Amino acid sequence: MARWTGPVLLGLIVAGATCYAGLVFTPDVLMGAAIRRVSEGGFGRFSHVPLADASSRRIVRPSPDLAYSSCPYDVSKAPLLIDAVPVAAPYWSLSIFDSRTDTAFVRNGGQAQGKPFGVAVAKDGQAVPAGYQVVRVRGARGIALVRILVADRATFPALDRARRATVCRAG
Amino acid sequence: MKRWARYLIGALAGAAVGLGGAVWLVRNAALGNNVAIGPWATGRSFGSAGADPYTRAVVAVKGLLALPAQEARYYTAATDSDGAPLDGRCRYLILGGELPAAWWSMTAYDPAGYLIANPANRFSVASNAFQSSGRGGWSIRLAPTRQPGAWLPSGGVPRLELTLRTYLPTDGGAGNPSVDVLPRIMREGC
Repeated sequence: MARWTGPVLLGLIVAGATCYAGLVFTPDVLMGAAIRRVSEGGFGRFSHVPLADASSRRIVRPSPDLAYSSCPYDVSKAPLLIDAVPVAAPYWSLSIFDSRTDTAFVRNGGQAQGKPFGVAVAKDGQAVPAGYQVVRVRGARGIALVRILVADRATFPALDRARRATVCRAG
Repeated sequence: MKRWARYLIGALAGAAVGLGGAVWLVRNAALGNNVAIGPWATGRSFGSAGADPYTRAVVAVKGLLALPAQEARYYTAATDSDGAPLDGRCRYLILGGELPAAWWSMTAYDPAGYLIANPANRFSVASNAFQSSGRGGWSIRLAPTRQPGAWLPSGGVPRLELTLRTYLPTDGGAGNPSVDVLPRIMREGC
């Protein structure tokens, strides 16, 4: 039995290390999968999805009250430029998530005072055009996400048209 | 058995247990595992670089791309106020008062985190469903069949979770509300 003491101890150490590594790398793996899902139409362009319902499987725990627009980015060669136009809604925000799922930037409609603004998502050392607020991100890939609170589903068609004024493109 | 084979078995078994443990830990955690307030679980470090690996993993699995606390707070309940698991075949009365936020909404999800199919195609009840946005108190019935007043369909699924989202919290997301502030979830019958 004593012959198994060493292997059991090794197993315990490996179990602890594997569990920790599993937790550490879960966000990267899932964010990578999410980026692949939303970038089917390519990087550097917004896709505007309809309000979530029981058939929605793009993201977990989608809010049925929010209209999501996502712009997957890859800044390995050039920054991403976002021209954001807040819409009149109880809540509007632009948030930028890096490859580790961290929020690199968020601005809501109140903070923007309802006025258009420009954001350049860039990695360290990348030059950005004038007139854009620079947001430095870790990792090359991530997602810019616009959320619009749709208090009344009957107003969604108008909000759906209005949200298309927000655009993103490689700079 | 040779010595190296015993160590190999130990290492492989350890890796399997470790990976399985990570999956189990994340799958069995509520979104917002940091703080329990009555039946509600919440956290303030969603989407934050300062979150610990466990919180980050749980958020990635159960609430990827969640907003940071100053924008929205997320409260998740998998049990009623007596601690019994939420059952979509039962009827619950959810009682609440003024919530410290500009707007709020309550949504039912299946255990995988997806919206629950129901004939009414209704997936949430929000503050604008109530007079004065519910500041004077409000009630929601969570049930598989249509209910008078504010009804949140549960679809008759055996297990479900509720997520309460509060947007633009009045304290900027800095604190946690007390148990008296968050809604009570009471089972009325099955």
